[in-house]
Amino acid sequence: MSTTTATDIAVAMRGITKAFPGVVANDHVDLEVRAGEIHALVGENGAGKSTLMNILYGLIHPDSGEILINGAPVKIGGPRDAIATGIGMVHQHFMLIPVFTVGENIMLGREPVVAGGIYDTAKARRDIQEMTRKYGLALDPDARTGDLPVGLQQRVEIVKVLYRGAGILILDEPTGVLTPQETNELFVVLRDLVKAGKTIIFISHKLREVLEISDRITVMRRGKVVGHLITKDTNQAEIATAMVGRAVLLRVEKKPAKPGAVSFRVENLTALSDRGVQALKGVSFELRQGEILGIAGVEGNGQSELVEVLAGTRKVSGGKVWLGDKDVTTYNARDEREAGIAHIPEDRRGAGLVLNYSIAENLILGRQRANSFAWHHILLLLDAIRKWAQRLVKEFDIRTPSIDVPARALSGGNQQKIIVAREMASQPRVLLASQPTRGVDIGAIEFIHRRIVAERDGGAAVLLVSAELDEVRSLSDRIAVMYEGRIVSIEPADASEDRLGLLMLGGTAQKT
Amino acid sequence: MPFASVLFAFVVGAVVVTVTGGNPIDAYQGLLCGGLGVACTQGENPALQIANTIIFAIPLITAGVAVALPFRAGLFNIGAEGQLLAGAMACTALGIKLHDWPAVILLPTVLVGGMLAGAAWAGIAGVLKATVGAHEVVTTIMLNYVAQWLLRFLIIGGPLELRAGTSKSLPIGEGARLATFLPNSDTIQILGLPASVYRVHVGLVIAVVAVAVFAILLWRTSLGYEIRAAGQSQKAARYAGVSVRRTIIVTMLIAGAFSGLAGAIQIAGVDHNLTDKYFSDTTGFDAIAVALLGLGSAVGIVLAAILFGALHAGGSVMQADAGISSSLVLVLQALILFSIAANFLNAIRLRIPGLGQAPSAPAPAAVGAALMTEAAVAPPQEGTTST
Amino acid sequence: MSVITDILQLLLTANLWQVALVSAVLLLLPALGGVISERSGVVNIAMEGMMLTGAFFAVWADLIWHSPWIAVLVAMVAGGLMALIHAVVSIRFRADQIVSGIAINIFAAGLTVFLVRAIYGLQDVGHVVPAEALPNWDVPVLSAIPFIGQVVFQQNVVVYIALILLVVVEIVLFRTRLGLRIRAVGEHPQAADTAGLNVYLIRYGAVITSGLLSGLAGAFLAIGVSNTFVPNMTDGRGYIALAAMIFGKWTPRGAFVACIIFGLGEAIYANNSTIHVSQYLLSMLPYLITLVVLAGLVGRSTPPAADGIPYAAGSE
Repeated sequence: MSTTTATDIAVAMRGITKAFPGVVANDHVDLEVRAGEIHALVGENGAGKSTLMNILYGLIHPDSGEILINGAPVKIGGPRDAIATGIGMVHQHFMLIPVFTVGENIMLGREPVVAGGIYDTAKARRDIQEMTRKYGLALDPDARTGDLPVGLQQRVEIVKVLYRGAGILILDEPTGVLTPQETNELFVVLRDLVKAGKTIIFISHKLREVLEISDRITVMRRGKVVGHLITKDTNQAEIATAMVGRAVLLRVEKKPAKPGAVSFRVENLTALSDRGVQALKGVSFELRQGEILGIAGVEGNGQSELVEVLAGTRKVSGGKVWLGDKDVTTYNARDEREAGIAHIPEDRRGAGLVLNYSIAENLILGRQRANSFAWHHILLLLDAIRKWAQRLVKEFDIRTPSIDVPARALSGGNQQKIIVAREMASQPRVLLASQPTRGVDIGAIEFIHRRIVAERDGGAAVLLVSAELDEVRSLSDRIAVMYEGRIVSIEPADASEDRLGLLMLGGTAQKT
Repeated sequence: MPFASVLFAFVVGAVVVTVTGGNPIDAYQGLLCGGLGVACTQGENPALQIANTIIFAIPLITAGVAVALPFRAGLFNIGAEGQLLAGAMACTALGIKLHDWPAVILLPTVLVGGMLAGAAWAGIAGVLKATVGAHEVVTTIMLNYVAQWLLRFLIIGGPLELRAGTSKSLPIGEGARLATFLPNSDTIQILGLPASVYRVHVGLVIAVVAVAVFAILLWRTSLGYEIRAAGQSQKAARYAGVSVRRTIIVTMLIAGAFSGLAGAIQIAGVDHNLTDKYFSDTTGFDAIAVALLGLGSAVGIVLAAILFGALHAGGSVMQADAGISSSLVLVLQALILFSIAANFLNAIRLRIPGLGQAPSAPAPAAVGAALMTEAAVAPPQEGTTST
Repeated sequence: MSVITDILQLLLTANLWQVALVSAVLLLLPALGGVISERSGVVNIAMEGMMLTGAFFAVWADLIWHSPWIAVLVAMVAGGLMALIHAVVSIRFRADQIVSGIAINIFAAGLTVFLVRAIYGLQDVGHVVPAEALPNWDVPVLSAIPFIGQVVFQQNVVVYIALILLVVVEIVLFRTRLGLRIRAVGEHPQAADTAGLNVYLIRYGAVITSGLLSGLAGAFLAIGVSNTFVPNMTDGRGYIALAAMIFGKWTPRGAFVACIIFGLGEAIYANNSTIHVSQYLLSMLPYLITLVVLAGLVGRSTPPAADGIPYAAGSE
């Protein structure tokens, strides 16, 4: 762990203000990062963390404010300036070109060339091996980047930044896609980098990780800095309160489950991914009325495909799905919905909503041919649709000026409430909830969690998929762990995090 | 915004005329006279000019719908021209072969035949897009050329040719012709000219019905809801149980029917035979500009079609009166397209000091981009068919 | 005699292949431009218009200065300026690139005819005398090789230039730093931007290059092949070049193969005196081939990931 005795300020951002149409993303933000520390920047989605870091990296230009790097004022007009100043950024969505090799991705912008501008593959390879030796980050320079697992892709990003000689590294939500074990590996790398003299800004909303890795913490809320904390003197509750602005319940309140009959049965299900590889390799489980089965796993191990297959938006290649005693294996999305299977999709903005549709239109998405909304499945019944929308907006507390505004205009939390309202209002027998609270504010998270538990208590069978292990553990009555297209184990709700983490990595399924 | 785009085009057009030694005032006076029948200097008959504008606008309205509907589904139908020709060819062929049928049967037959031919022409592009992901822009361009060559084949030495060397088809039967509003008489005088020269025909009613059908389909039906959803987000459409493939094909079939109808109306209402004039017909391309300028709405399409109809009608008067090439109309049309697509004026306004800075956040998307969405770029991946 | 055997016999004559190569080059130049533009992420269906503009200005300049090389230069600049409009509209103003491309094509069709009338009045544009046209040149020694010599080495100078450019573009795109950067911008502009590349500059450069190449093609057509300007004389070649580019999966060599196929088609129906089928039906062939190939083969090829998507810095 680095010491904080050094008083050199590596990064100082003063009075940074940036307004977008309709929202002030950064409002007179001050940030000081000391040389050689790991500085955590925390806040809810939309608090302005990414905007602030994009300003530091030159991707966004502030309306006002100044930036000092190592004490000297700088003007960062673009990433080129940032790189020249020694700033590097590992983005949340990797800035890697899938069809390029690892070497080409790392070299891009500083490519070694021989006469006439010919790209020098041999030198690129040597340089990367050199970097690998120096920082202990093993990589194959000739591998196609898109074929690498996420953890390695992140490593490519880090090496790319180091190759540009960065002394200050910004990591934007680097653990979001990693397993607990991969996260630990990343933390080892980060500590080594600090030892090698680097300064790190670590953006996260996962408070435990922040407490584990950082030296100091800056908390943002609604575009403003609301707290400067020293990690060793604080705790999760204090940070969470600062982030949200009020005391937060970190646990979900729920009564013990009273599981009923098996209402949904999946037998030996197989399916292909978009890229044509086997994503599900024989998944089987049973879901009872009145219980929540959580699916834990590192993203990309077949969870998304599983939910899509069950919801009827992906083709099944083998196996059976039973709803009660009805075989629904070959149902398409509309049939599934009519049979009583509701689906909160993981891709809220892409799949769950048509962002340019009004709230009323979005509230019938998937039911546009249902008898209650369309005369003989042909002509839309506009009055019925409006009444329905007005009812749901009220019942689910969707904060909107009217049912005619496009869904695009609403906050993430309220967008998610549209989907939750639509899917729950039909009183489904089975609820498939995929990443139901990703990227929404804490108030909406609490609301959605309460509604999911209420569905369970109302007798629905709930399948919950979440990349947030904490969410799975706090909501589920049983936890199924997925790894490489299979359910490797079904664990009780109180299984330890270490054990789940090990299973998620494909570790031994034997009882420990 | 559309008005500003038109204004922008006329201002730049005036510069082009001036730079090449013409007088823009004369040019626009000619256009105005030819298009709207006002400010005429050479004694043109205003009523006749207005009638000509309406005749030009009729196929533009119908074909404009054929471009606007696929826009909503995220498809770019550059093939309205080919579909229109397919409709015109089918209408002519039927009108010749069945020339002795009574009008009550023959007229619907040639119009429906034109629609089916247009639908088939567009359907090829729709099926290729839905099944193998072949980009509809490329396939419809190819189909335009195929239609062009087929037309030449038919009327130059081909089966529909009137006489060798005429580059004309035989005329369609009397029963296949759309009535004009005014009696087709050379003796009745209306506004100083024989009634027969005002050729405004019943196709106007058909075009207005077509645009109304378009609006109802899009906004009041489940199919319209699904077409718009597929255009906005294929993922969301699939999630909603919509087969994106089917929607693409259905949309193209309907659009092709509209284009084919435009071609059939043109034959049945105006020309009564295929001629070499169709070799250089650009109605289907003008329809793209009409759909964009009309912002894809029913009323907008009608207004834009009237504008382009007026430009067309005005072009020849401008050439005759002011000596300015009628191809200035094409230049104006291109400028309108640029201006609408790029949303120049909006961007420029934001740059004027005091009215706010240009945003670094994405600027409001251009019209075309807003109408066309991912479906136009990515081939569909279908996963809808089963659990 | 059947059509098939007619065509097969034609295919054995060097004359046919010689003509086919000329037709192919008229497609290859704009196709190369298309490859460069689309690899950088800007969809370009405006080659037709750029080529037409180049054709007009080549004749115009040749009639004034009596030098085919000045004419070529003027044609390339004219094509480049049309490309610049496309670039500004689609890069700076983030317009829909297909709409902008269509507008360019309409603009070129209108402008050239407008200029013909404004400059030459009602008369013809006039013919370029052969001495001021782009010359043919037989490569010494090589042109004596049987068959191959006539096909490849007894050609117009522009044919040689085009074949050299084919190799150059292939190498630049896939072997050089510049090519890596162009492709990076077309695949993932955000990644390129964060790596410190100037996305806009690269895209402007690529689009303008496509205009220069299309302008050159126009000059070849007007003062190398036809020796005059006729309205709409490009006759869809820009669009066929677009199809060739897609066939060729956005690579220069792939596009070249497609251009040869189209060139052969054109040469065959130019020779249609020996084939007993309506020339109009034969004229459909390249377009029908394109459709069939699109249906069978190319559906699986993928364009650059960011092709057609305007880039706005700082947006996520």
